Amino acid sequence: MILLLLPILLVSCLFLAASGNRLGRLVFPLAAAPLVVTFIWGCSQLVSTAPSAEERLVWVSGLSLNFIFQLSSLASLMTVLVSGIGICVFMYSFGYFSDDSQGLNTFSATLLLFSTAMLGLVWADSVWTLFIFWELTSITSFLLVGHKNTYKEARLSARRALLITAAGGLCLLAGLLLIADSAGTTRLSEMGTAEFSSTAAVLIMIAAATKSAQFPFHIWLPGAMAAPTPVSAYLHSATMVKAGVVLAALFSPTFAETGTWKTVGLFFGIASMLWGGIGALRQFDAKLILAWGTVSQLGLLFTLLSLGSAKATFAAIAILAAHAVFKAALFMVVGEIDVRTGTRDIRKLAGLASSMPITFGVAAVSAASMAGVPPLLGFAAKEAAIEAVLKLSGTQDLIAGGSIVVGSVITVAYTTRFMLGVFSTPSQEAASDATPVAPQSVGMSVSSSLLGACSVIGFLILPKVSTWVKSAAMQLNPEAEIYKLYRWPGLTTAFLVSAAIVASGLVLGWFAEKKIVAEAKPAGARFADLSVSTILRTAQVITGKMQHGSLPFYIATMAITASVATMPFLFALDVEPIYWSDSWAQTTLAILAIISSLTVAAVRTRLSAAIALGFVGLSITGLFVAHGAPDLALTQLLVETVIVVGFVVGLGKLAHGFPQVGVIWRGVRFLVSALIGFAVTAALVASASAPTGEPPLEAIAEKSQTVGGGNNIVNVILTDMRALDTLGEITVLVVVAIGILALAKPRLPSIEREDAAKENVI
Amino acid sequence: MITSDSPILRTSVNVISPLALLVATYLFFAGHNKPGGGFAAGLVIGAVVILRTITGLQRDIQAARILSIGTVIAAGVAVAPIFFGETMLDQAVWQVTAPVLGKIKLGSALVFDLGVTLVVVGMLTAAIEGLGGTHYPVEEEF
Repeated sequence: MILLLLPILLVSCLFLAASGNRLGRLVFPLAAAPLVVTFIWGCSQLVSTAPSAEERLVWVSGLSLNFIFQLSSLASLMTVLVSGIGICVFMYSFGYFSDDSQGLNTFSATLLLFSTAMLGLVWADSVWTLFIFWELTSITSFLLVGHKNTYKEARLSARRALLITAAGGLCLLAGLLLIADSAGTTRLSEMGTAEFSSTAAVLIMIAAATKSAQFPFHIWLPGAMAAPTPVSAYLHSATMVKAGVVLAALFSPTFAETGTWKTVGLFFGIASMLWGGIGALRQFDAKLILAWGTVSQLGLLFTLLSLGSAKATFAAIAILAAHAVFKAALFMVVGEIDVRTGTRDIRKLAGLASSMPITFGVAAVSAASMAGVPPLLGFAAKEAAIEAVLKLSGTQDLIAGGSIVVGSVITVAYTTRFMLGVFSTPSQEAASDATPVAPQSVGMSVSSSLLGACSVIGFLILPKVSTWVKSAAMQLNPEAEIYKLYRWPGLTTAFLVSAAIVASGLVLGWFAEKKIVAEAKPAGARFADLSVSTILRTAQVITGKMQHGSLPFYIATMAITASVATMPFLFALDVEPIYWSDSWAQTTLAILAIISSLTVAAVRTRLSAAIALGFVGLSITGLFVAHGAPDLALTQLLVETVIVVGFVVGLGKLAHGFPQVGVIWRGVRFLVSALIGFAVTAALVASASAPTGEPPLEAIAEKSQTVGGGNNIVNVILTDMRALDTLGEITVLVVVAIGILALAKPRLPSIEREDAAKENVI
Repeated sequence: MITSDSPILRTSVNVISPLALLVATYLFFAGHNKPGGGFAAGLVIGAVVILRTITGLQRDIQAARILSIGTVIAAGVAVAPIFFGETMLDQAVWQVTAPVLGKIKLGSALVFDLGVTLVVVGMLTAAIEGLGGTHYPVEEEF
């Protein structure tokens, strides 16, 4: 089924991308269609506890590079979330964009590709499949964040997101290589819980943290707000940031016995939970409050998953589901407010509770679910988390537990501040000061209401949700079998703690709403941008210095570099076995070569120099003949011929004689020439003086006959034995030829060129 | 660039070119057992193309096309054995016994060499194209 769904999704992406601007907003319902199929299938798989049969697509058989998919319990839960919220997001987009918006086809195609990547990620059962889809989510999210590519802010944010998540991707690759090597399998379901290296654990944890925007990698997430709201809603709820959580969850049983895994995970989780919450309290942009809230919530998930106890894992999965539902709804609410009022600043927004009643209702329900207030899905999930905390013991765990409680208080606080800031009417001002509101759009209201209702429905069908969560948790930790979600736990300690959290959070949030007036500065993001722009500027300076455009300088640089690099050969120089020549013919030809070389340097006209250079080549050809290498001689002769002809052709464009040069430059040229000449001689003599053994002539001649079937050993080597080298060499030729063709393109006539220049400016 | 209207040069290049191409063909096939081979053949053909360009006998050179055909042939021969379950660049040899010529041995290395030849020719024609060989200034006066 997976191997059927993936092509359907990918073909839909292609279709959408190719549809152009013809379809307008209709692309969104079309894009939702394959997700509906996925959703229905996902729901049908939710009830079955056994993992589905594996589906594989062989890619490179020898390297165990295969696409292997298997629908585990966690994967089916994620499938429902990703496709379900995806459908809502596409419906919402239908209302969010207007018909004349540009590039809706590419946008919807990218968004669908993004959900496909996320689905592939959760379905993957091979580490390589996982990695490919992981990278695909990075790339598609980069495109989505940078959708408004005419805005500098959007481009910067997109680049930041890509750099951080791609760096995480590299860590993931390294980590997966280490694991696959020590586990001896690439299958996730066969990993087992062997003793793995802590390096692998740290690498995988870092990868998960970059994707899930954990402190200090969280800086890309607030910037990703530059994306259109449907993207934010999707990115922050079921996809992208959840990819990291899924990764951490999948590997939590594998690394259960690796100590660093827990420590690093707890560090990321606790730091993000607290810092994200504080960040949310300091923002004024409603969307940013939610974004920082996401950092905090994901920190909570990381902390719970890293704790490793069955109850904590169970709670983490429950919160994962609840968070996806309420966060998507809240983002949709903010997007609707943005579209209908023109602002997201909670200092400007007021009195929306009465003017946007439906939106207010959705926001109130979802926010209450986020704060963990009954009777909602978020409450049941939070209760499970608090119960898990109460069971903890040991210093490290108690610190984590305490942080979860503090983090929950802050969560309630920023939720309160969000609701008060956006919807309340300031008491001292009249109701007429309420923000003016545009008429509502059906697409947006329906999908946000649907998701808002899910928080309630989830609570109503809690026993069912509980089984789904349980089977997913059991996949990670079989001991989770005994746990379930309660609608009404009774007056337990956990409930009292929850009540205390909500009460203190409400007070803190009310104070925060009144007291916090100064805008927080996004220091981390600025630091990231600064380092990127510094690298770029340095590169520009270095390139400017290196590529100055003077050919003599290029040649001098290359010659000097090559000479210096050859110097180590001098130490291997052994003049003992060196003799001058085999025969008088060699001596004569060598002298001829030297004389012609000197002539090249001495003559004043270019044509004479070219001809003298031809003499040098012919002398060398003669040397090859004298040495008994007819193949080399033939090739050398032909090359010399072509070079001379080439010179003659090229010289027509140049002045007759060489330009005059100053004394100093002439001296420098002498020095450089002497240096490279000396270096080449030294290297040749050194390599000739220290042979490492007799050349295997006999064996090669034998092989040439039997394997290559030819008597010319040189050619058999070229086209058969070392044909790969030849392939490499002709590749170089092709590259050079393409370079010549591109550089020496016939110039456009001047008028056309001016036109082209104008176009470039525009 | 240097172009020549000299009828002597033009006639001799015109007469010599088929002979040179014959030499190139010989070199190409001789490479199996004697000095020669695809690279040398390519150089000879390239020199012919350049000379014909200088004398205005040839105007239309499509370096890019020659290059791409050569690359596809060489790379194709390199990759082809993979599809037959062999390793890359593995040579296949076919033997045919023709009535007059006797035993003829054909190796896939020969096809590979053809690719090499074409790439060398393409490279040289690209060079002459880059030097402005295709823009023959005299043609406007005809």
